[in-house]
Amino acid sequence: MSRSISLTRRLTITVLVLELTSAIALIGAITVHERHTQFRAFDATLEATAQSLMGAVQDAEDGGDNVMLDMRGVEVGKDAAFRVEDEHGRVLGFMGNPPHLEALPSGAPVFQNVKIAGRGYRFIVLHGLRIVDPGTAGGVRHNITIVYGTPVGRVWHRVLEAIRFFAIATAILLGVTAWVMVWLLRKGLSPVHELAREAERISSSAWTFDAPASARETVELRPLTAALEAAVGRLQRSFEQQRRFTNDAAHELKTDVAIIKSSLQLLQMRKRSAEEYSRGLALSLDDITRLEMTVQKMLTLARLEQPAEGNGSDSVAQSCSLRDVVEDAVHQSRPLAELKGISMSVECSADARVPIDSRDALLLCSNIVLNALQHSPDGMNVHVRLTSEVDSACLTVQDQGEGVSDEDRPYLFEPFYRGDPSRSRKSGGTGLGLSICKAICERVGGSIEISNVTAGGAIVTVRLPVKPPAADSALSASVNVQ
Amino acid sequence: MRVLLIEDEQRLAENIVAALRETGLAVDHAPDGETGSHLAGQDVYDAIVLDLMLPLKSGQSVLRDLRREKLHTPVLILTAQEGKESIVELLNAGADDYLSKPFDLGELLARVKALIRRAKGVSTSVLTSSDVELNTVQQTVRRRGHFLELSPTEYRILEYLIHRPRAIVSKQELLEHLYDFDWEHHSNVIEAHVSNLRRKLNIPGTEPLIETLRHRGYRLREENSGL
Repeated sequence: MSRSISLTRRLTITVLVLELTSAIALIGAITVHERHTQFRAFDATLEATAQSLMGAVQDAEDGGDNVMLDMRGVEVGKDAAFRVEDEHGRVLGFMGNPPHLEALPSGAPVFQNVKIAGRGYRFIVLHGLRIVDPGTAGGVRHNITIVYGTPVGRVWHRVLEAIRFFAIATAILLGVTAWVMVWLLRKGLSPVHELAREAERISSSAWTFDAPASARETVELRPLTAALEAAVGRLQRSFEQQRRFTNDAAHELKTDVAIIKSSLQLLQMRKRSAEEYSRGLALSLDDITRLEMTVQKMLTLARLEQPAEGNGSDSVAQSCSLRDVVEDAVHQSRPLAELKGISMSVECSADARVPIDSRDALLLCSNIVLNALQHSPDGMNVHVRLTSEVDSACLTVQDQGEGVSDEDRPYLFEPFYRGDPSRSRKSGGTGLGLSICKAICERVGGSIEISNVTAGGAIVTVRLPVKPPAADSALSASVNVQ
Repeated sequence: MRVLLIEDEQRLAENIVAALRETGLAVDHAPDGETGSHLAGQDVYDAIVLDLMLPLKSGQSVLRDLRREKLHTPVLILTAQEGKESIVELLNAGADDYLSKPFDLGELLARVKALIRRAKGVSTSVLTSSDVELNTVQQTVRRRGHFLELSPTEYRILEYLIHRPRAIVSKQELLEHLYDFDWEHHSNVIEAHVSNLRRKLNIPGTEPLIETLRHRGYRLREENSGL
């Protein structure tokens, strides 16, 4: 279905059809009017000629007081037909073969169309009174009837002539209008083409989209321009984020592989004792374990960042008790806390069922708790607190470390960010922990935030919707880690 | 020969240090940019292996500062970054060579040795001085065709001296270039090694190769000059 619609063509055709319709209506009106005018003029001419014929009826100067037709000074059309007769039916004069037509008793002139030999004629029937010798006893009265007609073809010819003139003028006008309109439309639509050309330049390597001034100035194009600019900006940001992630991931993996490769090659450099080999193998295994961990976390993050399938049914099906999970996470991290001499206080005022898979929830909680432990100086306290609100659960983990710097804060949840440009791994972890936490929270419409506590240390605040998830509960979570 | 490795990745650094030591080089390791820059500034290294992503100070800054101080120690860059641009930039900034991670350990060793050789004006792996032939790959020494059994330290002293023909090399210089910080070293240790080396080189029918200049150091004698 590749239907293409041209706005230019559509507009042109619409305007032309409208113009044509008006032209046809105009021609119709002109026809009616012209016909009327022409026939009035024609009738006037007929009557005038008939009157002059009447005038030409004169005393025959004979004994019988008869009348005769004196055609001198009377002009009739070449192809006209007439007959002049008196009250006795005596024909005083004629031309052609006019029909016998009835006159009105009132004597008013009568017009009638008659076909003679296939030719249309219009006749006038005129009655007149002629008095001969009016001086003597009132004279002799003669009732004269004049039938006079000429072909109407000439009138129609004139009407058609007028119509033809208007039709030709209209056609020329239509042509000119169409041409001017197409030109104007093209010109008017040029901002669209300019915008398209500019938009065409966008590619994954060149994200610059500078809407042409013409498009910016066009009111109708402004929403499109703004939408394009916004879309390009969003795409660019997400594309760059992806690229950064890929670069960082490549860096991590290459480093891990470099370690393993160098460990094995070192072992291979010369013949070694059995102890040396077994120690080297153990080290290599450790190195591989770390690579495995990195890969696993990357895959976890990738899985979590996929949009949840069947949004709702899936997540409702999976839910867990947040209190159990928090207690589990705290229990699991006890050994590390004891190693560092950190005391952990847990305060779970209420339980809440959150729409997260229990393994993901445990991952979230233990990541946050371990993070707090890692950033806590030895012998300090880490406080874990779970509170429940109307439609959300709030988990806070507070430590007494050095807090987060304003520099790091915007990047804490970015993959592989370690608050250290070298991405040194001495502090442990792959730099994916917080990204995974964020992905878990955002997947169910929750949030995670990190801020500093005035007393010193950082506080991670996680807010999660309670099952069943409220349709549009605007949840905000904040996590503070230092 | 003494090499400085500036690399923050602990396990990778351990492996590289071990490999460089096994190939007969003295190695110091700096785990961050600041330390690395400080050590490199002492100008006792014959080559530097430099990672780019370092805590405290980036590899680029370390390299730039080194060159700004007019130190010409050859530098080999280790990078996990893609992109030719950064490599071109680094080479222009004064790096001598680079390797992308994951690299081949053998290649790293060969490149470090080649850098050291070239910095001393030698382009092949077999060094000769008068009738002595020193193979840096197999780490063997021959005089007039006879293989000599040298200890690793003796070999390194001889290698260093051959790299500096006609120059007087002080005991301090030998100490600086042959030992890393992990070794206990005193100048009398050097004396003992040099004396052993001189004895082993002294095969019948030849003249003593190493001259001792009192209070100044040692010099490799060029026999040909006497002809």
